[in-house]
Amino acid sequence: MNEHLLSIIVMAPALAALVVILLPATARLAIRVVSLTGAAISLAGSVMALVTYDRVASGHQRVETYPILPKLGISLSFAQDGWGGPLLVLTGVIIFAGVLASWTLKTRDKEYFSLLLILVAGVFGVFVSQDLLLFFLFYEVAVLPMYLLIGIWGSSHEVPADGPFKAAWTLFKVGDKGYAAMKLTLMLLVGSAAIMIAIFALYVKSGATSFDLEHLAQTKYDRSLQIWVFPLVWLGFGTLSGVFPFHTWSPDGHASAPTAVSMLHAGVLMKLGAFGVMRIGMVLMPEGTQFWVPVVGAVAALNVLYGAMCAMSQSDLKYIVAYSSVSHMGIVMLGAATLTPEGWNGAVFQMVAHGVMTGLFFALVGIVYDRSHTRSVPQMGGFATVMPGVAAFFTLACLSSLGLPGTAGFVSEFVVFLGAFSKGHYVWATAGILGAFVTAIYVLRATRAIFWGEGPNRDFHELTDARTTEWGALVILGTGLVILGMWPRVIFDHIDAGSALYLAKALASNTVAIFGGVQ
Amino acid sequence: MTPPLTYAAVAVFAPVAAALVLAVLYPLRKKGMPAAVLTIASSSAAFVSAVLLFIDRLQGAPPELATVPWIQSGSKVLADVGLRVDGASASMLVVVTLVALMVQVFSLGYMHDEEPPAFGRYFAYHALFLFSMNVLVIAPNLLQLFAGWELVGVTSYLLIGFYFKKPSAARAAVKAFWVTKFADMGLLFGLLVLYVASGSFGWDAHLEPATATLVTLLFFFAVVGKSAQFPLHVWLPDAMEGPTPVSALLHAATMVAAGVYLVVRANPLFEQSEFTRTVMLYLGAGTALFAALLALVQTDIKKVLAYSTCSQLGYMVSALGAGSMVGGFWHLTTHAFFKALLFLAAGSAIHAVHSNEIGDMGGLLKKMPLTGGAFIIGSLALAGFPGFSGFFSKDMVLEAVEHAGKVPFALLVATAFLTAFYMGRVVFVAFFGAPSARAAHAHEPPWSMRLPLVVLATLSVFGGAFTTPFAALQGEEVHFHLTGGAALASLFGFAGIGLAFFTYGRGPRHEAPGAVAFVERMSNSHAVNRFYEVLFHRVALVVSDALAWTDRYIVDGLINAVGYGALEAGRRARPLQTGLVPDYVLAAVIGVLGLAFWSASS
Repeated sequence: MNEHLLSIIVMAPALAALVVILLPATARLAIRVVSLTGAAISLAGSVMALVTYDRVASGHQRVETYPILPKLGISLSFAQDGWGGPLLVLTGVIIFAGVLASWTLKTRDKEYFSLLLILVAGVFGVFVSQDLLLFFLFYEVAVLPMYLLIGIWGSSHEVPADGPFKAAWTLFKVGDKGYAAMKLTLMLLVGSAAIMIAIFALYVKSGATSFDLEHLAQTKYDRSLQIWVFPLVWLGFGTLSGVFPFHTWSPDGHASAPTAVSMLHAGVLMKLGAFGVMRIGMVLMPEGTQFWVPVVGAVAALNVLYGAMCAMSQSDLKYIVAYSSVSHMGIVMLGAATLTPEGWNGAVFQMVAHGVMTGLFFALVGIVYDRSHTRSVPQMGGFATVMPGVAAFFTLACLSSLGLPGTAGFVSEFVVFLGAFSKGHYVWATAGILGAFVTAIYVLRATRAIFWGEGPNRDFHELTDARTTEWGALVILGTGLVILGMWPRVIFDHIDAGSALYLAKALASNTVAIFGGVQ
Repeated sequence: MTPPLTYAAVAVFAPVAAALVLAVLYPLRKKGMPAAVLTIASSSAAFVSAVLLFIDRLQGAPPELATVPWIQSGSKVLADVGLRVDGASASMLVVVTLVALMVQVFSLGYMHDEEPPAFGRYFAYHALFLFSMNVLVIAPNLLQLFAGWELVGVTSYLLIGFYFKKPSAARAAVKAFWVTKFADMGLLFGLLVLYVASGSFGWDAHLEPATATLVTLLFFFAVVGKSAQFPLHVWLPDAMEGPTPVSALLHAATMVAAGVYLVVRANPLFEQSEFTRTVMLYLGAGTALFAALLALVQTDIKKVLAYSTCSQLGYMVSALGAGSMVGGFWHLTTHAFFKALLFLAAGSAIHAVHSNEIGDMGGLLKKMPLTGGAFIIGSLALAGFPGFSGFFSKDMVLEAVEHAGKVPFALLVATAFLTAFYMGRVVFVAFFGAPSARAAHAHEPPWSMRLPLVVLATLSVFGGAFTTPFAALQGEEVHFHLTGGAALASLFGFAGIGLAFFTYGRGPRHEAPGAVAFVERMSNSHAVNRFYEVLFHRVALVVSDALAWTDRYIVDGLINAVGYGALEAGRRARPLQTGLVPDYVLAAVIGVLGLAFWSASS
């Protein structure tokens, strides 16, 4: 079983989705139990994969390869590297908590859960793919269900339009879930188109014999090719991880999406983008990376500070959290752009830390929204009196978000800043640290406005604390934040092994050209 | 592990065990009292082990270390966590655990009227605080110290905001966190620079002179925030919104002293920068005087003590700037005892009259002799009255500062006068004279509140006896001798008490004398606070609104314009699709002709 563990992790949610589709729509409990079982199998498998990964041997383990189209060099090929374990566990935790958080869904639950599971199968697939085309296919599987999930189960909210563009804004129907779903999908698809061009360029120039990532990594591409292909990969994948100025789908999309979808999307999907930039862009194109990295880092630093400043001005709770994701994903790209072991470890650690944190955030926001029927922060107040548990977990998420030592956020931010400093990127690091301070301002302001102060007014008479399955989601994610912050080595050593493997390639400028015709 | 390390481990892990149990087992917290018992038990364990550790250190053994790698990156250890046992950490551990234990026992009575869940939450926070503080104290390197530093910041935020329903408390908690977090960026930057320059987070690195100055200035910036020095002192008076025992523990005795402790720890680095020490010398002395002036005009007993804390921390910072690590540290220690005593006695008085205003008190000494006596002892120690503990530590501070510079010395002597005066004012107004209406039915609190007063009062009186062993533990030989400067300060202290007596001792008045009316005006408008408010509301929020607007309408607007443009282009192109066969044939013919023409010409 161990050698097929990765297949099991990827297939379990897909099979669960199939079972859910076959179940009658009235079997509401069965649908949930099957979904949760699928998620649980993947989670357990991921934990097992993490624990049994041989860190000393490092490299790719549990390799499974099944040729699909040998002529074109396409195969179904899975392998686990150092990064794989932590990212798989993150995905498993988020989908498990996400299913728990969606337990009380009322409309079309059969379709909802099956789409959610298909999506997550795609995410698992990306993290273990060893074949570039497969990687891309899984990526699309993960991205596309989002359109339906937001369009059908999302919520619409009027974003008050003001200023000279008011008329145009009303025309676009900003804040409408249909608008948000369409915008998110289109922007990500434009990104996908760029990735596709890059993939074919890389494939053809490596001799058009194989999509195997190892094979591609050994190819030495033309410097000029790298220089025009790298930005395609960076912006193509970067759109999904919220790289400025292509981040604007995120606030609208995450605000309109239902709870579990926001959790998955901000918690895991955005990481696929950053993962793609590092795993495909930086590892395969060292020279292109060297050329573009000053821009990548500067934009990432801008992301951190700009996202935080934008978040400070929001009054819609979901927009605050969404902009904070834009800001925090900047830390990931910032770490990646340093091209140091610290920066890369911090980047991947931040993927996990931010995933857990934002998953927790959106779960909490979902609970608050479910009870109060509003997302407008100024209307809230004093909620801690009636929902102390939610308030406590919200505070915990805030503390991790502002990088408090003892929570996961600190580890990644600190290590990333260390990487930036050691390379002399003082401006980037300063922007990052200021961004963390601005985060402290807006998250605590929101906490005070929502939970503190005089008890809730009469509009909110139906407020209750979290309930059974919701507690499950909160406790899992909250505990995760503290464990990662107190003892980061539960995943840090794995990440380090992965970074060592890939960073060597990203820094290699004189890779040997094994296959002819490539100079 | 050797016994000393075991003691240290108990001191750190007993409170966190209690905090974890209380976090997980909600029923314990909900009932209230079990949480208090558990927390006090864990603090007692921490205190006993701290004392054992202290005794062990008195033998003069070399420092001991137990660490594990916390983060490994690129196959090298980035940072360790663990325990470091030496004279400084053992001394600080005793101070922290003792005051914490006393405050927790005091809280049993003081917080008795809270709802049980709130009571339980209160003690859970206390356990978390003690853990955080001990993590800081016992840190083997500056990174762990930073972690503890931030954690105490959070517990401070939680405890100031304990009465979270009260808008003023909520505001004060957030403000305290923001101000200290702002300053903490200095420590973070300093750590990064230190690591790049020396390759570790240790405090014994030898740095280039410029780097040393940069690192220590950055560290000192964080100290200014945490130890409430000018101009980042603004959070401390507001922090008095928290329960009074919390003010005693965090905002007087231990947490605010963390800044001083940081300098004590990083002393080898600070010794390398003359410039930073000069800045500290003057800023500390300036803060001491400035805060003492503000203390003069407060009518809220806690606010007087809060500004007094700023002022005394200024003494410590100034001493550290003068190069007297042991003087600053010793004043930290005695101050912890007598300021905690003052706050707890004030708490006992507030508890009895249900008001913070000294005008609502009056004649309390007769009604509550123990509380009144404790407060007077604390005041005398604070004023540096000969024989009391504060006298010995202030003497060490003044002696060091006298050698370092005449101006800061003069400032500190003037402060000694003001200190005696403002404490005299509180004592005479609140504890002597005719009882006010509210004070008429005041009575002594229960034993749980009296016991800590007795313990801390004893230490405030006799603490000075430990001056020599304490200094020896820090590796310095100090024998007490009265210097001219200190004698001068004592004289000024007497004068202050005398003036207070003549002003307040003989009548029911409690307002500030006309001579300090200008301070009152300064205090009311409080330009520093105003400055930050403007900075936040008129600059930060405006910039953030502008950016958010830009994001929505310009950045996103461009993207929408692309989408809209695509739609519009499609709409424009649609008429081409007429559905009429002749049109298509025409197009095909044109196309074929075009191709033919192109291939013929090339």
